[in-house]
Amino acid sequence: MALVTVKNLSYTYPDPNGRGGACSSRIVSDAGSGRSDDRHRALSDINLSIERGEFITLMGATGSGKSTLLRLFKPELRQNGELEGTLTYAVKTDEGDRDVALDEEIIHPRVVGYVAQDPEEQIVTDKVWHELAFTLENLGMRQQDIARRVAEIASYFGIDRWMEHDTATLSGGEKQLLNLAAVMIADPELLLLDEPTAQLDPIAATRFIETVYRLNRETGVTVLLCEHRCEELFPLSDRIVILDGGRVVFDDTPRKVAQMIGKDDKYSAFLPTAARLFHLVTRSAQTNDAIPQSPLTHVSGDSLLAGSGSPSVATRRLPNGEHLYQREPEIPLSVREGQRFVGNLQIKEAPSEHTDAPLTEEALLLKNIRFRYERRGADILRDLDLTVYRGEVFALLGANGAGKSTAAAVAAGLRKPYAGTVKLFGKTLKDYKNGTLYKENLSLLPQDAESVFLHETVGEELGGCDEVLKGLPFDLSPLYERHPYDISGGERQLVALAKSLSAKPRFLIMDEPSKGLDANRKALLLEVIRRLKADGVTILLITHDVEFAALCADRCALFAQGRIAAVDRTDRFMTDNRFYTTVASRITRRFVDGAYTVALAAKRFSTDGGAV
Amino acid sequence: MRFEQLNPFTVAVYYLCVLGIIMFSMNPLLIGIALLTSVLGAVIGGTADRKAHIFSLAVFLIAAVLNPLFVHKGMTPLFFLNDNPITLEATVYGLCAAGMLTAALYRLRDLGKVMTSDRVLYLFGRFSPQIALLLSMAIRYTALLRVRWRKICDSQRALGLFDDGNLIDAVRGRARVLSILITWTLENGIVTAESMESRGYGTGKRTSYAVYRVHKIDGFIMLVCILLTALSAVGIYFSKAAFYPALSMNLLHPWGIAGAAAFTVLSLLPLIINGREAIRWRLLLSKT
Repeated sequence: MALVTVKNLSYTYPDPNGRGGACSSRIVSDAGSGRSDDRHRALSDINLSIERGEFITLMGATGSGKSTLLRLFKPELRQNGELEGTLTYAVKTDEGDRDVALDEEIIHPRVVGYVAQDPEEQIVTDKVWHELAFTLENLGMRQQDIARRVAEIASYFGIDRWMEHDTATLSGGEKQLLNLAAVMIADPELLLLDEPTAQLDPIAATRFIETVYRLNRETGVTVLLCEHRCEELFPLSDRIVILDGGRVVFDDTPRKVAQMIGKDDKYSAFLPTAARLFHLVTRSAQTNDAIPQSPLTHVSGDSLLAGSGSPSVATRRLPNGEHLYQREPEIPLSVREGQRFVGNLQIKEAPSEHTDAPLTEEALLLKNIRFRYERRGADILRDLDLTVYRGEVFALLGANGAGKSTAAAVAAGLRKPYAGTVKLFGKTLKDYKNGTLYKENLSLLPQDAESVFLHETVGEELGGCDEVLKGLPFDLSPLYERHPYDISGGERQLVALAKSLSAKPRFLIMDEPSKGLDANRKALLLEVIRRLKADGVTILLITHDVEFAALCADRCALFAQGRIAAVDRTDRFMTDNRFYTTVASRITRRFVDGAYTVALAAKRFSTDGGAV
Repeated sequence: MRFEQLNPFTVAVYYLCVLGIIMFSMNPLLIGIALLTSVLGAVIGGTADRKAHIFSLAVFLIAAVLNPLFVHKGMTPLFFLNDNPITLEATVYGLCAAGMLTAALYRLRDLGKVMTSDRVLYLFGRFSPQIALLLSMAIRYTALLRVRWRKICDSQRALGLFDDGNLIDAVRGRARVLSILITWTLENGIVTAESMESRGYGTGKRTSYAVYRVHKIDGFIMLVCILLTALSAVGIYFSKAAFYPALSMNLLHPWGIAGAAAFTVLSLLPLIINGREAIRWRLLLSKT
């Protein structure tokens, strides 16, 4: 029997300006769909059943209702909306499972655990051990039982080494792991995770997801996870559920979903790189060779993609009544499967390389910079040299804690290095007198959009930015009446971006601009960067998002140990790196050079000639 | 077992005893002992750096000089300054008071080093799990607010909205930072509240978990502390130290000597415990 059963569920928020990410779905994107008639309705006609021990990934654009759905499983967190339909939970009794309505009486940290997006805000106490004990203290457990559980969970999660630390000193990834541990310590049957890795760097995010996966396999906890991070989750999940506009549009195994989505471009952003590449290559084969269907061939004929996993055999009745055995190639989901797939393809000539003339005029120059926060502390920046040329988009990549943000703060004049020089457009920062540095010269988009907002409404916040707003590929005016905290995190980031452009900077530093954004928002951000670049703005991008940098940067640098370890043109950077590079590059780099994005990779491979 | 590893209760009782005697004795002999032992403890324990020693010396000198300059009570004038008598009694009293203040400062600094926030929490948590949680959250929020304050200052400055040019602008800038900080923290506080609620806060009676245990040695040391303190108090009583109008004290009264000896042992207790530990460790090492 299913652990949780959802039948014909609809959920309606009382007023359009209510709280929560889902109700602020009338977004700013160009592609705003006309959902005006049922705009308060966050979820409609949801049917879902979750088996014990399943690992389900819930996907959907911001505002598709996935957070709302997730919260319905945890009645303490429900907002005062109107719920129709039923949501039942199977309780174990002596006579087997019994379905009960999922409401507050049975819900308990021991039944449903919930981890939210923000690692920082979920932490309640000052010490790591106390944070773990907090949950059990609330349940009124005895001292010795708490000691046992805390010890158990700490060693399982590998956090025993920092048990005595202050929670404030942990990194984002450690904080989120602690949050997960503090929820799992109550031993819940169902674990809900609402974009738990959106604020983490890729290494910490992968580690987090692996931990969740391990919990699922080793303890049998049922997992329902909302995420954008498809690369890791498609290969791991038992099922993928995709929501759009409050409705379930896909609900199947990852491979089936990947196969189905290919025919529907709207959702292709949810697919991992290998699957997208598969669709692009096979689709171009269709258009080039006018093959009517997706890659299906007779069994007797050459298998189109022999070796790309075990092909599933399907039968189809032809109009003349004859059975046609079709061999449908299995769609690749991971890097390994992707490599197997492209290994059987024909390699096409590289398109002629058009190299732009190298830029020479320096916009930002950091020379021999040394910086530390405390006199006795270690150097954060160790003899850092960095040159950004006028008119380019320069991406500074690297792990969290490597000092990227500190380098940005030094470049922006917010921190003073104890050695070395910083020059912007040929002048030292000191030579910009009377605040001219931050007027029409330099601007920094901070990581936390909250640190920017001063006013009661978004409209006031953006007062005097009219000219800037006109140049943006999205429209913020529907949000003008709202409080900056009542709009979603992604929208907040866009408002902060508009605000940071208000002084019309010639040099813009963006600190992790793509953090926590879904695919649509990322596309908007890319468009903003493209337009700024066309206007001659020089951009320094601080990011750990390699995929994002690959799409917009002219040059990339790898930051490590307080200095730059490698700097190169984006194509060479991505091709020469083996680990720190895009998924597309990792899939293709043993076969071709320079195919570091899906689009580029699709141009280099074709199915012509069938099997090799 | 090192002194810092004792149960926070024992440590608290110890400091209560030592500080009590230091602050209420006003007995030159005991204050001399207190000053010597607390400096010794700070040097051996490494709880004070050079700066701290210089600061303590300054406090001592200032306190010692101020009393005779302003207090002219006493029967034995040493000399006259601007027609005001500088008396022996006031000078001695000043020295004692300065010694008391300096010794107490050293001890408080030790206490601050030993009594980390989680030990303080443990002490309060014994009385009420609610207070323990409240304090723990307060400590956590202080750290969070400090980080955020800095982030907001940076963001505002980089947007050109924060001018340090003149005082009024600077004050206005800080006010704005404060307002953002409050909004940010209050608005996002809902996430913390939800995290607490979803982890069962408010569903029933809370318990309070602590990582500290009570050992036999804790009871023993507490007992020793109280006995030594009582003996010191008896000594203080029989020594009958008085400064005005003329110095009168019987420091060499048998009970007074016993009290001074008891206080010496009490003052050196952390060093004795740690010394015993160090010797044991040595012996253990030499065996292997």
